[in-house]
Amino acid sequence: MSEVQAAPRRRINLGFDRFSGLYVWAALIVLFALWIPDLFLQVSTLKQVLTFQAIATIVALGLIIPVAAGAFDLTIGGVVSVSVCFTAWALVNHHGVVVAVVGSILLGIAVGLLNSLVVVKFKVDSFIGTLGMSSILIAVAAMISSQSQIVLSTEGYAPFLDFARGEFLGLPYTVYYAAVIALFMWWILEYTPGGRYLYAVGGNPVAARLSGVRIGRVTMIAFVTSGAVAAFAGIALTATIGTATSIVGEGYLLPAFSAVFLGATQIRPGRVNVLGTLVAIFLLATGVSGLQLAGAPSYVTDLFNGLALIVAVSLAVRTASRRK
Amino acid sequence: MTTALSVREASKIFGGQVALDHVSIDVEPGEVRALVGQNGCGKSTLIKILAGFHQPEPGTEVTVGGQELAFSDPTSSESIGLRFVHQDLGLVGNLDVVDNLAIGQGYLTGITKTIRWKQERIAAREALLALGYDIDVRRAVGGLAMSERTAVAIARAMSTRGTPATMLILDEPTANLPGPEAERLYALVRRVADSGVAVLFVSHHFDEVFEMADSVTVLRDGKHVITRPVEGLTEDELIEHVVGRKLDEYDKEGHVRAHGEVILELKNLSGAAVQGIDVTVHAGEVVGIAGITGSGREEVAALVFGGHGHGGEVVLDGEVLPVSRPDISIDRGMALVPAERHQNASLMAQSLRENITIVDPGRHMSMGILRHRSEKSDVTVWLERLDVRPAQSEFTMAQLSGGNQQKVVIARWLRQEPKVLVLDEPTQGVDVGAKADIHRMVDEAAAQGAGVLVLSTDHEELVRVCDRVIILRRGKAVDELSGPRLTNDSITAATIGRDSSEPAA
Repeated sequence: MSEVQAAPRRRINLGFDRFSGLYVWAALIVLFALWIPDLFLQVSTLKQVLTFQAIATIVALGLIIPVAAGAFDLTIGGVVSVSVCFTAWALVNHHGVVVAVVGSILLGIAVGLLNSLVVVKFKVDSFIGTLGMSSILIAVAAMISSQSQIVLSTEGYAPFLDFARGEFLGLPYTVYYAAVIALFMWWILEYTPGGRYLYAVGGNPVAARLSGVRIGRVTMIAFVTSGAVAAFAGIALTATIGTATSIVGEGYLLPAFSAVFLGATQIRPGRVNVLGTLVAIFLLATGVSGLQLAGAPSYVTDLFNGLALIVAVSLAVRTASRRK
Repeated sequence: MTTALSVREASKIFGGQVALDHVSIDVEPGEVRALVGQNGCGKSTLIKILAGFHQPEPGTEVTVGGQELAFSDPTSSESIGLRFVHQDLGLVGNLDVVDNLAIGQGYLTGITKTIRWKQERIAAREALLALGYDIDVRRAVGGLAMSERTAVAIARAMSTRGTPATMLILDEPTANLPGPEAERLYALVRRVADSGVAVLFVSHHFDEVFEMADSVTVLRDGKHVITRPVEGLTEDELIEHVVGRKLDEYDKEGHVRAHGEVILELKNLSGAAVQGIDVTVHAGEVVGIAGITGSGREEVAALVFGGHGHGGEVVLDGEVLPVSRPDISIDRGMALVPAERHQNASLMAQSLRENITIVDPGRHMSMGILRHRSEKSDVTVWLERLDVRPAQSEFTMAQLSGGNQQKVVIARWLRQEPKVLVLDEPTQGVDVGAKADIHRMVDEAAAQGAGVLVLSTDHEELVRVCDRVIILRRGKAVDELSGPRLTNDSITAATIGRDSSEPAA
């Protein structure tokens, strides 16, 4: 019955376990504000962070779904690449925006279906199965782009490029896409039966199945979701940078995983969640852009991301074990 | 000839509970001795003392072939010639026979430390041939028949690479074996004994006691009851020694509930261990299934509910259920409280609210949004009804004690108002108070018209909640007890081999 006595103590908890990311984020902002006030405390910095992170945020939001269901999806980087190459290829070959966009999304869904075929039907561990699939996707992207860069000129493709570059209230559309997807995912996970099923499958698949959850179907929907969302991120990325190469998506894989796992230590510790993921993304982005403004070399991004993930997760593990 | 095993005045106390009370036994070389008794009689405590796992109380003396067992040294029992084969055998399924025999004792190696495979294979083959088994030693152990695996485990235990074996101790050697394979094993044990090694085996199967043993020792409540030759012993006498009473006590007033139509029918249901059983449950009736480990009892819940694929038919309220579809079983009105709640029922990191509503999370959906507040008040009613402590819907499952977790799982299903409720070991690892509450909930569910099927190894529990109890032995339904015949002792007796329909001796 020690749990009963523990209840009042929780009330005076400052929430270091749940909100440590917010504290660190605040500390970072204060640090850079004191260190490089002229460079850091600018509206342009805020805008830059939001813009740069919009596409990474979309990819990470898609990844939350399979991770909630206990499955790794390592194909998200490959899906971004395939989507970017297909979109650019369809546009330069005059198939029109509709084919480019719908085709890309369908490709993302197809990858999700293949992933679930491998994981659910063939019972391959999701880490291995999607790792293999991601290698196949690198090849597919290279095939589509004929192994060369496809450039979408600003003049020729203005309507399409505006899809991402257009601005509202000073922010590019991609920021709003990310916000809408975040809201959608938050609703799914917190306020629909689907979210319950995802967390149940991720928490204990045997118990979930014996409670009537169709775990195979839930896993399939999770992979399809992350595939479709990654494909959408690819379309937005094509419009943002205006060029396509077959490896462009790979850079989105690790940051998405970092954000989702770091996010799982925040807000609702122990489970991946949308708000935690957003905190993680902007915490990392603030740190990185502050350091870059202060004159740090560009490799500091990877260094900072890696360190932050390891430190944050070890702290969370420590708090969790102390609470037992 | 020196006595193979001599145990003198063995005692063990666990936190004030006497588990073993001045037990003395002797086993001679070449003798096969069965050690029997109910759960908690002290059998396993004795075996664990011999294995060096428990330190006995002072005054206990054990000698093996004249050498004294040093209780403080866990390697002592092995070095004076005691060998153990546990029920799970401890084999590595994906390695071959040669590797399994070499595990733990090392390989034969040449001067360069290279394994001498040819010699290893010859040695492995000879060891198994000596036990009467002609097995291709390069086959993976996982692909062998169960009795062949047991033979490999025994061959490994008997291996003389260290000191020679004096005494072989087996834990439930044929518990998981179908009839013909069990007989092969009887012959194997005979061979081991004929080579001059003494054999002691723990058993719940009386057929193996009568087939395999020369003599039998019965323990009850930690005390030695009797040691005698098997010859001349009847099954009824043995059962009386085990349960400590005559079996003709018809003192119980049967509580047969008024019940309605047939709600659940199992027709020729079969699985891996269950071999075609027929069971009928009426609405408002509580039917129990009893059986020792290996009888098939532990499989029944999964077969009925659709957790595993099954042969035969499960008919719920007149409709045949599809195989392996727990979701459809639930939709049609079945509920399962499975055994091993951690593994099979709990979402440990999730709130009690989410644990209870996982069966139909959509119930509190309105305008596209799951209303947490109404869900919470719904769940709190159930937490209070089952007296879950604390009745806090937002606590995680991991924060509760075992008994309270079990109540949460039961709440999950009672909330569905099932037509058929299947309970597998419903009070496993649950304290006395929670147990009484759970039994009360079973009564209430039946009173409201649910058909209840209870699978349990707790025979008092079956007597407490059931109208009738079906007895499984080796995968078959062999008996049914109800009314005055439904007693704790009669269930125990029936599960270990005595048909209640036979007249008592």
